[in-house]
Amino acid sequence: MTRETRPPRAEQQFFDDPAIDRIMGAFMALATEHYVLRDRFLALERGLAQSGSINPAALDQEPDESERAESLADRKAFVEALMRPLLGEQDALGVPGKFSLKTTKSEA
Amino acid sequence: MDDRSFTAAQDFLLSAKTFWTTTLYGAVRDSYSEKANHSQDGASDSVEAVAEALEDTTLYQFYAWLERHLQRMKYAGRYGLVPYHEERRREMLEALGHVDTDDRFLELNENLDLPAYYTGVDIHQHPGGVWSDALAGVIYERGARTTTPLLDAAGKDVHERFTDLALAGGSHSNVLDMGCGFGKSTQPFFRRLPDSRIEGVDLAAPCIKLAASLAQKAQSKNVRFRQMNACNTDYANESFDLVTSTMVLHELPPKTLDEFFDEAFRVLSPGGRMVNLDFYCLPDAFRRFIHYGHARRNNESYMGPLAEMDISKLLTSKGFVDVEILPFKETEGVDIDANGSWRFPWTVIAARKPERCGS
Ligand SMILES: C[S@@+](CC[C@H](N)C(=O)[O-])C[C@H]1O[C@@H](n2cnc3c(N)ncnc32)[C@H](O)[C@@H]1O
Repeated sequence: MTRETRPPRAEQQFFDDPAIDRIMGAFMALATEHYVLRDRFLALERGLAQSGSINPAALDQEPDESERAESLADRKAFVEALMRPLLGEQDALGVPGKFSLKTTKSEA
Repeated sequence: MDDRSFTAAQDFLLSAKTFWTTTLYGAVRDSYSEKANHSQDGASDSVEAVAEALEDTTLYQFYAWLERHLQRMKYAGRYGLVPYHEERRREMLEALGHVDTDDRFLELNENLDLPAYYTGVDIHQHPGGVWSDALAGVIYERGARTTTPLLDAAGKDVHERFTDLALAGGSHSNVLDMGCGFGKSTQPFFRRLPDSRIEGVDLAAPCIKLAASLAQKAQSKNVRFRQMNACNTDYANESFDLVTSTMVLHELPPKTLDEFFDEAFRVLSPGGRMVNLDFYCLPDAFRRFIHYGHARRNNESYMGPLAEMDISKLLTSKGFVDVEILPFKETEGVDIDANGSWRFPWTVIAARKPERCGS
């Protein structure tokens, strides 16, 4: 006996808005990926430290002012990309706001 | 997917699950106690009232979402058990080794009709269930390592502790493990009882293949695994003095459960015992609400119906005597009730076939 091919079934819903259910799915996938990368990163660090290529103690030290200043532009760009969508502004000009096509037919 | 990434992802999911089992579950329980204390009628005794109090809260919604999706991600998705094993199909099947079907370890039945309750739902969110793919047994085994991982102070897991209990109550020269899966529940019996005959039956060929392979590797000579419906075996009447099952009853629809008990009764010799481990004793409405929700979220369709049945009455009506239904502690040395974490409502359901049947 083999497993019949079955059409996909709608996922269970737990939040009032199913969009949150789906966003949570993407969020947990990212969190998992983040941990996988972190684990690999730490393993790399351990390997590099063992071979003497890096000094882990130096790596853990608080960066000095010049290093922080150097990375400032990069940090700003990251924050900008992360936070800009919260403003809800268009990147390329178009019609603003929420729209619906529900009524176009009756108007025609 | 490389092994390191797979392990890291699974470890992450397990840590998330542990947070869920302890902190999140505790918060849900506390929030319900608080609501119950403030309401006029105190803690309610119905599942519906608990649902009324909790289901619309954000906390419970996250709890419920995580219960379903952490399990989904364990099996499916980028780092799931299924794709991991799929990528290693050939070596995994080779590692399973060759088990001769005629060397009395294993008996398969390609023509076995699998019941609709079994094939219609992917049990505990294992895509394809534990039966439809050759790798399903290996995947189930890997998954089970983190489902019932607790060891007690003596290093015994759930199955070992259950075996202690099953062996304590009578003779056991012929033992049948109904719904033996990949043999996790059968192993303690055939290891501890070298002079007894142990048989395991299960619907899932991929599971009993793994069970037989593990038994063969352990050089056990006293066990055989057979692909068979536990409700309709070909054993002669009165051929076993001990019939066991672990985590099987809740997979069976009520009508099938009825047949399961009939079959256990039939194959038991007079005076023989049936001992099952499952999920049944729920001390209050909150635990019942949590359990029914778990059943839905984990694709365990008959967990709820089992918990609603009057098992004691059913077994008595079938002629069983000395019916015992007792909460089972899956570990010694940890005060489970004080600890307050989420846990299965482990219960031992045991009964005896009377000495002189029908008299
Ligand atoms: C949760 S598993 C438990 C397996 C094993 N007893 C253990 O504790 O590891 C439930 C098992 O019951 C089997 N099963 C379900 N319905 C069955 C039936 N009617 N006859 C035989 N086995 C059945 C499934 O294939 C599955 O392997």
